[in-house]
This record gives sequence, C-alpha cells and structure tokens, in this order.
Amino acid sequence: MTNQSLIEFKGTKDGLVIKVKENQDFQNIKSALIAHFEKAGSFFKGANLLDIECPYINEEERLALKTIVMEKYDLNFKEVTEDFKPEIFQGLKEGMTKFHSGTLRSGQVLSYEGNLVVFGDVNPGAVVKAYGNIIVLGSLRGIAHAGANGNLDAIVSAHVLNPTQLRIGDIIARSPDEKLPDSVNPEVAKVKNQSVYVESNYNKGKKKGEK
Amino acid sequence: MGKVIVITSGKGGVGKTTATANIGTALAKLDKKVVVVDADIGLRNLDVVLGLENRIVYDIVDVVEGVCKLRQALIKDKKHPGLHLLPAAQTKDKNAIALKQMKGLIDELKERFDYVVIDCPAGIEQGFKNAIVGADEAIVVSTPEISAVRDADRIIGLLEASEISDPKLIINRLRYDMVKRGDMMNTEDMIDILAIDLIGVVPDDENIVISTNRGEPVVNQEQSFAGTSFRNIARRINGEEVPFEEFKIENGLVDRLKSFFKINSN
Repeated sequence: MTNQSLIEFKGTKDGLVIKVKENQDFQNIKSALIAHFEKAGSFFKGANLLDIECPYINEEERLALKTIVMEKYDLNFKEVTEDFKPEIFQGLKEGMTKFHSGTLRSGQVLSYEGNLVVFGDVNPGAVVKAYGNIIVLGSLRGIAHAGANGNLDAIVSAHVLNPTQLRIGDIIARSPDEKLPDSVNPEVAKVKNQSVYVESNYNKGKKKGEK
Repeated sequence: MGKVIVITSGKGGVGKTTATANIGTALAKLDKKVVVVDADIGLRNLDVVLGLENRIVYDIVDVVEGVCKLRQALIKDKKHPGLHLLPAAQTKDKNAIALKQMKGLIDELKERFDYVVIDCPAGIEQGFKNAIVGADEAIVVSTPEISAVRDADRIIGLLEASEISDPKLIINRLRYDMVKRGDMMNTEDMIDILAIDLIGVVPDDENIVISTNRGEPVVNQEQSFAGTSFRNIARRINGEEVPFEEFKIENGLVDRLKSFFKINSN
C-alpha cells in the first residue's frame, strides 16, 4: 500500500526537488518514493537532485532517502552551497517592482525580490516581505519586512501605517502596546541610527537639503 | 520537571484560549514558571488574547524546523516575569509539525518550566493529536450547551484512548440566572453526562470580552467573577484545596428592584 500523491517532484532550474507533502511515517514515505521511481523507469536517470523537502523526518532518515535515490536510481546529488549569497537588492530608487492588487488577509504571505506595492490592505496576521521598499495603498496592520535581504535604506509606507511589526533589514520594531490614534496622512517608516522611525510623508519641504 | 496540561474542548468557541491565557497568567501570579503554548497553528489567537502579538518574531514551527532556538521563540509576558508564550505559526497549517517533533519540544519545555499549558485547537485532527501528545493532564472546557457537552464527551473518550486519564472539567460561561430559571443545563447535569471531576465553574462575564479585546487576561482584575474563578482553578491545579466559589447571583439592577418590590408587596 503506497500513497502516490504523497510525493511531488518539482523541477527547478538547478535540479530536482522531491517534496513529501503529508505527514506519514518514514516507512510509508520511503515506499512511496521507491514506487514513484519504479514507475518512472529510467526517466530520472542522471538528473540533478537538489533536495528532499520533508519536515517530518530527521536528518538521518533524509540521508537514507538520498542514498536510496542516488544509488538505486542514478541521480546526482547537488549540494546547495552556502557561499551562494544573493546580492543585497539595490534598486530602491529604480528597480524591479511587483504590483499586487487585493487585500492580504491573516496567514497570507506576499514576498518579492524587489520593491512591492500593494493595492489593498494588509491585515493583522498577514506578512509582506520585499528586498526593496514596501508601499501599501491602504492600511498596513500586519507585518511588513522591507529590505529583507539587507538593504537598510528601504522604506515602508502606507496610507494608514499601523503595523503589528515593522522590519527593515535585520532591525525589528513592534507597535506600541497602547493604542495610538490612526494618522490621517500617509506615513513612512525608515531606519535611522539602527532604529525604525515613522514620519509623515508630507512635511518634507524643509528637509530638501538632506538626501 | 514540570507538569504539562492541555486545555481542550472539541468544539470551537467555548473558551479554550481564554482559559489557557487566564490559567497561565494565574499560575504565574502564584510565582510559578509557566509557558503557554499555542498549538493552533494557522489560526493562532493566544498571542492576541495575551496582548503579545506584536512581539512575535519566531514561532513554534520555526523551532521544530530548526530556524531558531527555543529560547528565541519564547516571548516574555508584559506583566508577569514568570509567564512565557510559545506562539503558533500563522502562515502554516496543522500538518507543519509531526507528533515526534511536538513531543520532543514539550519535553524540552517541561525541563525548564513548572507548568506547560497547551492551548489545543478545535477539532480532533492532527492539531488535536499534536496538542495532547506530550500532555500529562488534560482540562476539558465546555459551555452548558448540548453541542459543547457532546463534543466534550467525544474528547474525553479520545483522551482516555491516548492514556491521558482523569481529565478535569471547566464549565465556562454559566449563567446562574438562566440555570435558576431552568433554561440552562446546570453543573450537575453536565457532570452527570461527562462523569469527570469538576475543577471550576466560570460564570458568564462581560469583563472577559473587554479584557480579551484589550489583550489583558481577566485574572488581573481582582473584582471580576470570571477572574476569581480562573484564579481559583489555578490554585486547584497547583494542589491547593479551594472551595468552589458561590457567586451569589448578583442580579442586575432590574432583578434587585424586582426582589425589592416582591418584599414590599408581601
């Protein structure tokens, strides 16, 4: 008895990822995986295996699965090397931008490797994450993480900026425990001296000299 | 070595999360080291009820996946230094944690705290199984409604099958005035069906709604009925003999006027 839908194969540009979708015990996972390869015949022979994604097994069992797949079915295992570090996103003034329309509700996550504009609200429990700036044309009440891969110049701005938590780069700020009145004007959050500051989007006239 | 208590009910909306927050806080008031664990992955609430939502960086799924250390995911309460929260993940689902992982995690918490109080999700699926896997004891919450009692009965059966014997019962949201009129099941009816020991009766109290929305457990209010009940439940958990509180039906003004006129008319 094996469950075929337990296993999913995902092709990426670097190689194959095997995904185990359900929480089953190791023997079931193993037999399902073998059944899959038996069915596929020599289709996977010589393919690059990137990873076996399964949160339900321990490292030892993962290794056992990898060994089976590599030795029995002739796959090459390609270790994802840690020194592959994505470059810090630099397109804050001009760069890749995603536009998302629709409200993000609790439990939803929207992330993008560039700037992010949301037409809608971000509700508590939702997360927006971008390597660049985050602009919310609506109310931001959830968690926003701008400059997610390290750019501390990234900003978060919203019509109503009332987030549960603001993260810019590796700096985390949380909302005050006392309820503050919502601001009438759009606000922008940015990092100064390693902390997150929120200011109005408008009173910029005097500060023109600053960068 | 601490004690692991799971708070469960089967049915949703009967007050598991409120009970967990209040019992956890009340135990911390007794100078115990307490951690409350939100096992409701995907629909977390305990953080909101405790007013700690804005402090969450890592959650229980991050811990079992090894993204962070257990210590990093524990959130200290604002008022009670002995109280900690291990929040659930909101962006994952109940299958994100396997039984084995949950057991290991609870065992680790047990080493560090006097009490581990687990807020169980509604239902009897994976989330429930995860929540009870490491538990030494269980508290079943039920409201005086036939549907809640039916689900509580099912849960007690499942707990016994998992060898968590002798669960205790909290009757939540009892309205003494309705019981008196015969419009609501009374305590005896419920114990009769469920046949488990009562550990507390919590009266229906609008302070609960107010305190939940403020993110501050009602046990912090000395004068609230529900708060007193939860404080007494915590003392009973802690091994004290506390007599069951008799809330004289503090009838509203209307009732008091009524009784006043009744006396007069006699």
